[in-house]
Amino acid sequence: MSKKTKAQERADRAAALLREQQAKERRRNILIVVAVVVVMIAVIGGGFLINAARDSSKDIDAAPAGSTDHGVAIGDPEAPHQVVIYEDFLCPYCGQLERASSDELDRLADEGKVYVDYRPFQLLPYDYSRESANAFAVVLDAAGPEVAKEFHDSLFADQPSEAGPFPDADWFVDKAVEAGAEEDAVRPGIENLEMGDWVTEATDAASAAGVDSTPVVLLDGEVYLDGRNMEELAENLIAELE
Amino acid sequence: MKEWLGLAARLLTGGVWIYAGAVKLADPYASVLAVRAYELLPGSVAEPVGYLLPPLEVVIGLALVAGLLTRGAAAVSALLFVAFIVGIASVWARGMEIDCGCFGGGGYDPDAASDYPWEIARDAALLLASLFVVWLPRTRLALDNLLFRRTTPTEGS
Repeated sequence: MSKKTKAQERADRAAALLREQQAKERRRNILIVVAVVVVMIAVIGGGFLINAARDSSKDIDAAPAGSTDHGVAIGDPEAPHQVVIYEDFLCPYCGQLERASSDELDRLADEGKVYVDYRPFQLLPYDYSRESANAFAVVLDAAGPEVAKEFHDSLFADQPSEAGPFPDADWFVDKAVEAGAEEDAVRPGIENLEMGDWVTEATDAASAAGVDSTPVVLLDGEVYLDGRNMEELAENLIAELE
Repeated sequence: MKEWLGLAARLLTGGVWIYAGAVKLADPYASVLAVRAYELLPGSVAEPVGYLLPPLEVVIGLALVAGLLTRGAAAVSALLFVAFIVGIASVWARGMEIDCGCFGGGGYDPDAASDYPWEIARDAALLLASLFVVWLPRTRLALDNLLFRRTTPTEGS
């Protein structure tokens, strides 16, 4: 009888000790998991913050609308809002933005609600990017800002694909004439890339301002990015300006 | 045998994550643009997601390769692959042509449509490999086996 009790006691003690050890091990494992997860979150969070700090795409120091020779400005310089748009005539997103916003921005500029400065430059390493910016500068120089703005709109309305085929000089000349330029005044400049230096300067100026992608839209000096796509961005921008 | 296959699945998915994350670390803005190109997230959300993905991918990849919190890392890996498959399928369905930005790059790409099926197949295979690792209780040569070493016998053993 007493022998059996003793054996029973020993077994109970051993079982209690085992349970205690297992509980300890569970606690230790939970601690390890928590510690590792905390370290992982800290590393990911650190990477996130470093990335956010390194992204300089929003640090753009653009000259105020209408203050440069490298663009065409529409509307009243005293309007309550200023919009500056850096763009490449070939960049597909620029085309989407233009087609979604151009008419409305024209209207808002007419109504005195915004002063818009379009600044084309060469972002993409294609001849068309350079030729179109050159043609724009030739038209601006020879026929003035209003015709240049028409020409600019018409280039975006019939924008070629980034994959080509690309139009020739005659196409630019036809568009310039349609926009209101004199053929004789623009043909040599377009054919001989006479405003190549202007394109280089415009591109350097954009780069100096911190622009390294297109389109970059600035609303009152701040980069404007509100929207899932260019159509939505245009819609939101127009709504802000109304 | 299954535990060795688990090791292979870990090294494969982990290696892919480390590479995919590392090439994106160099240019955070490109990463934001790649997220934005899917046109799924509003501008204010695309930005933090673009900053977050590269370090998250690298850490998940390292955890998988090392076998650290293996099942949890594999579960996150599987979730990410589901998200990427949904993203690619969605741009495909909307007829958009973008570089998936899986390994850097991103944005408009005129020849993208022909890549979508292969990208989805690749991500689906990696999703299966991740789920396999989630399902396995343990794999070979994992840090977990050292960290969570049994110090006591379990009941019945």
